[in-house]
Amino acid sequence: MDTLTRRRFLARGGAAAAGLAAGPEVAAAVTRTAPPSALSPELAARAAGQRAMLFDSTLCVGCRSCELACNTKNDLGRKPDEIFQGRPAEDARALAPDVYTYVTFHQWEADPSTAAFGKVQCMHCIEPACVSSCPVHALHKTEAGPVVWDGDICLGCRYCMMACPFLVPRFEWESRNPAIRKCDMCADLQEKGEPPACVAACPTKALRIGTRSELLEEAHRRITNRPRRYVHHIYGEFEAGGTNFLHIAGRPFEELGYRKNLPLRSYRDYTRPAMAAIPWILGGLGLGLGAVRWLVDRRAAVAEAREPRPDDPAPDGGGA
Amino acid sequence: MTLVTLLRRPATRGVTVLSILAAIGLGLIAYRFWAGLGAVTNLSDGYPWGFWIGIDILVGIALAAGGFVVAGTVHLFGGHRFHALSRPAILTALLGYLLFMFALAVDLGRPWNIWKALINWNHGSPMFEVAWCVMFYTTVLALEFAPAVLERLGLGRLLGLFHAVVPFVVVAVLSLFAFAMTDSVAWVAVIAAMLLSWEALMRTGVMRRDRQMPVLLIMAGVMLSTLHQSSLGTLFLITDKLGPLWYTPILPLLFFLSAVMVAPAMVIVEATVSARVLRHRAETGLLDRLGRAMPYLIVTYLLVRVSDMIGRGVVLEALRGFWPAVWWWLEIGLLLTAVALFATPEFRRRPFGLPLAAWATVLGLVAHRMGVAVVGLDVPEYPRYVPHVAEVLITVGIVSLGLLAFRLAVAVLPVYEPHASPAGLAASAAPATPPQEARVLATAAQA
Repeated sequence: MDTLTRRRFLARGGAAAAGLAAGPEVAAAVTRTAPPSALSPELAARAAGQRAMLFDSTLCVGCRSCELACNTKNDLGRKPDEIFQGRPAEDARALAPDVYTYVTFHQWEADPSTAAFGKVQCMHCIEPACVSSCPVHALHKTEAGPVVWDGDICLGCRYCMMACPFLVPRFEWESRNPAIRKCDMCADLQEKGEPPACVAACPTKALRIGTRSELLEEAHRRITNRPRRYVHHIYGEFEAGGTNFLHIAGRPFEELGYRKNLPLRSYRDYTRPAMAAIPWILGGLGLGLGAVRWLVDRRAAVAEAREPRPDDPAPDGGGA
Repeated sequence: MTLVTLLRRPATRGVTVLSILAAIGLGLIAYRFWAGLGAVTNLSDGYPWGFWIGIDILVGIALAAGGFVVAGTVHLFGGHRFHALSRPAILTALLGYLLFMFALAVDLGRPWNIWKALINWNHGSPMFEVAWCVMFYTTVLALEFAPAVLERLGLGRLLGLFHAVVPFVVVAVLSLFAFAMTDSVAWVAVIAAMLLSWEALMRTGVMRRDRQMPVLLIMAGVMLSTLHQSSLGTLFLITDKLGPLWYTPILPLLFFLSAVMVAPAMVIVEATVSARVLRHRAETGLLDRLGRAMPYLIVTYLLVRVSDMIGRGVVLEALRGFWPAVWWWLEIGLLLTAVALFATPEFRRRPFGLPLAAWATVLGLVAHRMGVAVVGLDVPEYPRYVPHVAEVLITVGIVSLGLLAFRLAVAVLPVYEPHASPAGLAASAAPATPPQEARVLATAAQA
């Protein structure tokens, strides 16, 4: 494969070759040689067949049609004017209970004639931190792929918000019956075989839908076919154990507002050892505490038998 | 009767102040349920947890650790001489847990769904473990405190039934707990078999039982507490918002060690304060023994805390930044001070020596827990979180409520033993005797 030879070449090619090649390609070499995500094979296999989304930043023109479609489909109640009003390059928007997604706008002083866009929304992780942290499975990942929320059982503990590395779940702070709000990849539409609202609305096909393995293949194909157009990194392929929302772009992702240096392990891995220790602690204490109590007791009984003292406080008569 | 006469008595200044604080807190809580969490807190989508999680929950649960540490020492590890401290510690823990559940209901967005944690199981979630530990350990504490209530109600004859039934309740509770945590019938079988074997050994007389408290009940208390204390640390393992001075994979171990460390200190604080307020003599001899053990407990915690930081190569973070570093040194400084004070006999024997050292330990623990829950959290995308005044007032109100409840409980229930007995004579005084009751009522009348 083309990418493979390129990678081998870079790996062997030394500093000169690497220096000549565009920066992103070096980054790609690093990324691709990094250990793949530590997901279990079953989980990875299931994810491959799940619904996923691909965002190609190089095709995005920042029209915000996806935002309007999302707002309409989910009854988020914002007016088109609020969505389309002009914004400076330092876009200070954030996700909110009534903002499930938004397009970020980026410009560079060195080249003011060009702009690039990023898309912020729930990443629908393969093994989501929010799902792993939710005590009652109010947040759960459906077999089809989307991560959805069930308001009937949510306690409002906000642990999902503490856990999510992408800062996605939002809480209704002013509500008497607050909900956790975030993108659900239009799970209801997808069940009927329709694409999510944002994908259907995208006029430039910057958003695509398919199975995760199809989209990964497609993303690799685009990068391979036009290696100078793209940074050689599929954001979401390995981040946080891999996500069902994949991104490719023409600029390094941290320049597009994406969090960098995310671990390649799923966040569930960080609590897994402690949770797995629970039965061992229970069993160990069940055995150890009883044994200690028996030893202490035997010693007291022996001491008593040797030298009976009427006022000795220790013995509390056996079988009394 | 007693309760009524107590309530008819004019309130002392302390009770008045506590009542006002509690009323303010309850008023703000009512407003919070009317207007939403945003109206009384500075929490945000970037900092969804704050002061309440830190004080009400992380600190509150740690300070309730006296219950399982003292009960375990007395009934499992042969520390019968500390028996006089056991009931106050169990009462403190029980009230602490009840208050914690109340405070949690204020913090949860949808507290009316809390019982659904009983039927929707996510074995992988530390929060699920926390929820189950809270519910089950509170049950265990209530059972541990039940003998005092039975004595007070003159139902001493029910104690026989209590001892006959409770071990099996414990086995059932722990089996269910083990199943919820592991989803594995094999583990349930192992744990149930183990507990039933101990009970069988006691029933056949091979092993002696404990006349005052079913051994299995105390064991269940220690098992659930160990998991609960450590699980509060596990909660934070999944978040990447916590700074390097606090985040460590061994956070559960640190939470457990520091809870055990603070337990005797909290017993000292509780005993000296209530002796002052209720004007009875503190168990000075016993407290001094606790004080002598303190340096070992604190140094163990500090060694693990600091060597872990050295091992992860982040110890120099303690010299970087301002607030996190100051806060870290505050924790370490308070605990080192406590070690020095506890380890100096001349100081310990002064009237204020022991309580002062104990307070330093408690504050050191508060610094650690608040470091994890508030100071150490950093989400650059959001403005830094500083607690709202109402958040603080609500917590103060809930704590005041707890102190009032404690005050009421020790007035009407046989919690303290009749005389501040010298070490060693304590264990024999189990059932309530008329003089004891008279003594308790007398103290109530004085206050």
